[in-house]
Amino acid sequence: MTPLAAALVSIGHQALFGAVASVGFGVLFNFGRTNLRWCAIAGALALAVRTGCLAFQWSLEAATFVAALSAASLIVLVVPRRGAAADAIALAGCIPMVPGAFFGKALLGFFALTTPGVTDASAVMVSSSEALLRVVFTLGAIGAGLAVPTYATGNRGF
Amino acid sequence: MIVPEVTADDVDPILSVAARHRELEQIANAALHLGRLMMECGARIGVVREGIRLVALGLGAESVGVRCGYASIAATVGIGSITVTRMTEVGRHGVDHRLDLVLRRFALELRETGGTAAGLQADLHRLVRETPHHSPWFVALATGLACAAFGRLLGMDWAGFAPVLLAGAVGQLGRRMLLRRGMNHYVMAAIVAFLAGSIGGWGAEILGSGSSEIALTASTLLLVPGVPATNAQMDIMEGYPTVGSARAVAVAMIMVFATAGIWCADALMSTLV
Repeated sequence: MTPLAAALVSIGHQALFGAVASVGFGVLFNFGRTNLRWCAIAGALALAVRTGCLAFQWSLEAATFVAALSAASLIVLVVPRRGAAADAIALAGCIPMVPGAFFGKALLGFFALTTPGVTDASAVMVSSSEALLRVVFTLGAIGAGLAVPTYATGNRGF
Repeated sequence: MIVPEVTADDVDPILSVAARHRELEQIANAALHLGRLMMECGARIGVVREGIRLVALGLGAESVGVRCGYASIAATVGIGSITVTRMTEVGRHGVDHRLDLVLRRFALELRETGGTAAGLQADLHRLVRETPHHSPWFVALATGLACAAFGRLLGMDWAGFAPVLLAGAVGQLGRRMLLRRGMNHYVMAAIVAFLAGSIGGWGAEILGSGSSEIALTASTLLLVPGVPATNAQMDIMEGYPTVGSARAVAVAMIMVFATAGIWCADALMSTLV
């Protein structure tokens, strides 16, 4: 398989499961049927953009920002009749990018630091701190990416 | 005999002020009812404030001031120089998109058409009752599927897919049951993380997955409070740092308790395998 084909397969895989995760959380958040379709589109787009950016060696945070911005722009600009629902749909599309696993990794690392007889505490501290910083920056990237189209279009949520 | 018309000026001024207070109190309580429901549905503070303002103005108030905290909302409504301030408590912050949308539309319509405070309270009860919800089993299945999809996004192999799906579904059913029984939100997070993490981790291990650690973590991702985390940022950006900070602390607390559950599940699995 050529590198391009491999990258496309990877993007397709991430987009598919991004869509599934967004729809799953959309059901949990009690979205209606029509809006669930838009959740799937937003989730697929967000994960495809992020995976594509990561393939170009972008940082996770930068890729996440562009992905959130793309998903929010699509929903807010291209589908304006969604009105008040637009913000929530864009957010549901970005839920698969929320770095919950990184947060868990960071906290588990900090827990491990306090156990008796911890080995290589410095390495654990560095990796846990790195994971925590990624959580903060990635969440910030999602929030900023979602906020820009909302405020640029003057959508007040009603 | 001609009966002179009685105007507001002829009524006892003390009684008139008391009647106006009573009217404003009903407006404030009705507007706060809507605001409370909106907050409990996961709306950001800017939207909650606007909803309260629209309702209060629609019911006849001339001025509205709102203060939103994490656990309570206060509103001051006034007509002319007479004002009243009322407060309401806010329950557990959840996410209910359809009810949130219905409430926003309702507030807009009320601002346009007007109404009575008593009628509004009845309408709000009716909206809460009649807004459709997915069945608990469907929600559990969708949540399990979302967790399994998360697992794939994190690099989990296919052997872990079914166990994580099951773990996520069981975790969601467990969460619903515990919250309905009045369990503390944070304690619930630890219990569900342990339960779902154990099922996902053990299941993946039994099915020969090479990524049972990822399966364990992915099974608990239903607990990640993505909406409150984003709302926290938006609230701070919109000029409400107090509520935004409170939301952020609540998010961090949920994650600490969930991680404690994950840690217990991981420790048990490491000890027994």
